[in-house]
Amino acid sequence: MNVRSQVSMVFHLDKCIGCHTCSIACKNIWTDRKGTDYMWWNNVETKPGTGFPTQWEDQDKYKGGWEKKNGSINLKSTDKKRIALNIFHNPHMPSMDDYYEPWTYDYQNLFTAKEGPDQPTAVPISKVTGEQINVESGPNWDDDLGGSPIYAANDPNLDGLSEDQKAQLQAIERLVFFYFPRICNHCLNPACVASCPSGALYKRGEDGIVLIDQKKCRAWRSCVSACPYKKTYFNWFTGKSEKCILCFPRVETGQAPACFHSCVGRIRYLGVLLYDADRIEEVCNLPDEELIEGHRSLILDPNDPEVIKAAKRNGIPDAVVDSAQQSPIYKFVIDWRIALPPHIEYRTMPMLYYVPPMSPVMSVRNEDTIEHVSDNLFHDIDEARIPMKFLANLFGGGHEAKVVYALRKQKAIRWYRRALTVGDVTMETAKQMLNEADCTVDEAEAIYRLTSLCTFEERFVIPPSHREEAIEMSQDPHERRQSTGFGFLAGPRRGL
Amino acid sequence: MIGIGNTLSGSRRVERRRSVQQVGVFAIIAAFPLAARGQETAAYFKQNCYSCHTIGGGRLVGPDLKDVTSRKDRDWIVRFILNPQAMIDRGDPYATRILGEARGVVMPPVAGLSRDRANQILDMIEAESAFEKSQFEGVKFSDRPFTAADVDRGHALFTGRAKFKNSGPPCMSCHTVRGLTLLGGGRLGVDLTKVSERIGGRKPLSAWLVSPATVTMQPVFAKHPLEAEEILPLVAYFEHSAKQAGDDDSVAPLTFFLVGLAGMVLMLGLFDVVWKNRFRGVRRPLVAGGEMRTSV
Repeated sequence: MNVRSQVSMVFHLDKCIGCHTCSIACKNIWTDRKGTDYMWWNNVETKPGTGFPTQWEDQDKYKGGWEKKNGSINLKSTDKKRIALNIFHNPHMPSMDDYYEPWTYDYQNLFTAKEGPDQPTAVPISKVTGEQINVESGPNWDDDLGGSPIYAANDPNLDGLSEDQKAQLQAIERLVFFYFPRICNHCLNPACVASCPSGALYKRGEDGIVLIDQKKCRAWRSCVSACPYKKTYFNWFTGKSEKCILCFPRVETGQAPACFHSCVGRIRYLGVLLYDADRIEEVCNLPDEELIEGHRSLILDPNDPEVIKAAKRNGIPDAVVDSAQQSPIYKFVIDWRIALPPHIEYRTMPMLYYVPPMSPVMSVRNEDTIEHVSDNLFHDIDEARIPMKFLANLFGGGHEAKVVYALRKQKAIRWYRRALTVGDVTMETAKQMLNEADCTVDEAEAIYRLTSLCTFEERFVIPPSHREEAIEMSQDPHERRQSTGFGFLAGPRRGL
Repeated sequence: MIGIGNTLSGSRRVERRRSVQQVGVFAIIAAFPLAARGQETAAYFKQNCYSCHTIGGGRLVGPDLKDVTSRKDRDWIVRFILNPQAMIDRGDPYATRILGEARGVVMPPVAGLSRDRANQILDMIEAESAFEKSQFEGVKFSDRPFTAADVDRGHALFTGRAKFKNSGPPCMSCHTVRGLTLLGGGRLGVDLTKVSERIGGRKPLSAWLVSPATVTMQPVFAKHPLEAEEILPLVAYFEHSAKQAGDDDSVAPLTFFLVGLAGMVLMLGLFDVVWKNRFRGVRRPLVAGGEMRTSV
């Protein structure tokens, strides 16, 4: 057992209101620099929709992630032979057009326009050419199903749905969508790290945050094509690739990352998980249908004395183990099993989990009354407007069982709380539902609490980062303490 | 140079001393650098001047230098050899005349030449002119008529199929001759198609090849000189090529351009095949397809 610690995340999609506050918080802190205009380390997509960059989930086109071939997993985008052939040209690079051409507005025109019959307007100006452009695309161009006959209809997750189901999704008055906020998943088996010819990408030992060394990056952009979630971006100005850094300067000082902190719907949870690094390869090679269970099996019980002993042996500080024991992520993923990894079939083992969203409540019209109850208590999951296959493609690796389990449990808890507070459902029915959804009353209360009434400290259990111990590997921490803060980004040094 | 100057002034001071013994001893020591200087000047002349000039051997590319100091005053000559092009540009009548005699071949600037060095050379030319038969009368080459085998061997040497004995680089790496191959030779040096006419025939061309004196070629061939049995076939080849080319003076860059264009088209086609599964963009085709569907 090779115990490591990983700062992991849960996004509760049932709570996301699609306000994009997270994206703006991130943009204002990290990607308002020159050359980063088009980067959205955090973005919020509407599902069904094609996302950002357009149709990023279609790996036949983008060639991201891993594929199982000849008994082991290989990068889809490159290998040792192909990298020699493609050394001057990466053939799987998304173009600017698949992101969007960044633009601003000619605000000056509002003041300097000649007097005319109409109000002057601020026309869009391309930030690339400096000339007026007709804006064709943006980071959330298909937000709230905008342009749905083109975008929503071409969501790669619609694969495997019947024509009838697809038509239903588009039907007027039955339209349905949910939001899908995305940041870097800080994967356990990151394709971006594996693909980098310069060795510029690395997964931090102490907390598993995946970073790009800006001094080592040589602009190969292999990470851009290898990341199946398209969460590494190339900065044309610095000539280096960049990605979400999970606001590590904030995490190291005990603050939640900016997108977590600013989240209006409080959908985001952050905490430490302990995992067994020795078994990653074995799990990555499992058949598709066993991936989610395999992924879960990597995560170790932080209360198990064996695990604690092994963690100590690996130099994980006691405070981090304590933090792992409080981790809300462990509860969502392991205890309650309602949080699922996105697109586990890419085999990168993402460490950001999603609680799948409930569809609108289904009702049945009986003469003049509208009934929300039917004999089948879980009917609005089985007949949900969002077909289960669609959610399964996103969160279940194509298999519905895990998604259905998570949704049934959520539904059961809603009805349990309804029996308690509204009283139009009998407690007997509620308990029967809990029972059917594999949930106890205590668990239901705990889930309800962490979902609805969670405080800041309950959502974000940030481990002490013990930077002084991480520094010890390369530098004397006392010397570092005395010399840091003087100079610029890198300390002054003798020589050129 | 500084070293020589010091020895000279030292020897003069020594000569003033009247001690007979000392004079004898020091005269030997002093004579040594004087002799060394003479040898050095001769070597310099051989290296830099001899490929175009003889002393009493007749005209090569440049004029025969026998009694040159009596034809024109020393000061003018020194100024000319220090910067020939400047004198011509200034329209000096004598310089223009000798340019005409050399069929327009301008004397190249000589590496390492200084006013002192020029005077030393002129001293030496004066001395050599006095002899009936100067050591710089010119290299003797066989004047047997060229055969087809000579031309073939010259072609081989030019293209590098046959190697130079002293491992000099083949001519083709910098020069071209019309009709050589499809793409011709190098374009770094001048086109050598008509070189034998330009330089003035077999004798000057042969002399020139003994130690090529241009700024670019000298450093290369000083260490790897051509042998007499290599010069002959090369000259044969150059004469042959000049005859072949006839009166047409134009270089034909069109072939080069067309071959390049065809190569480019071929390579682009090859790239397209090799990378036929490359990423070609998603959003634009998607939107174009979508619009078609909605309009139907």
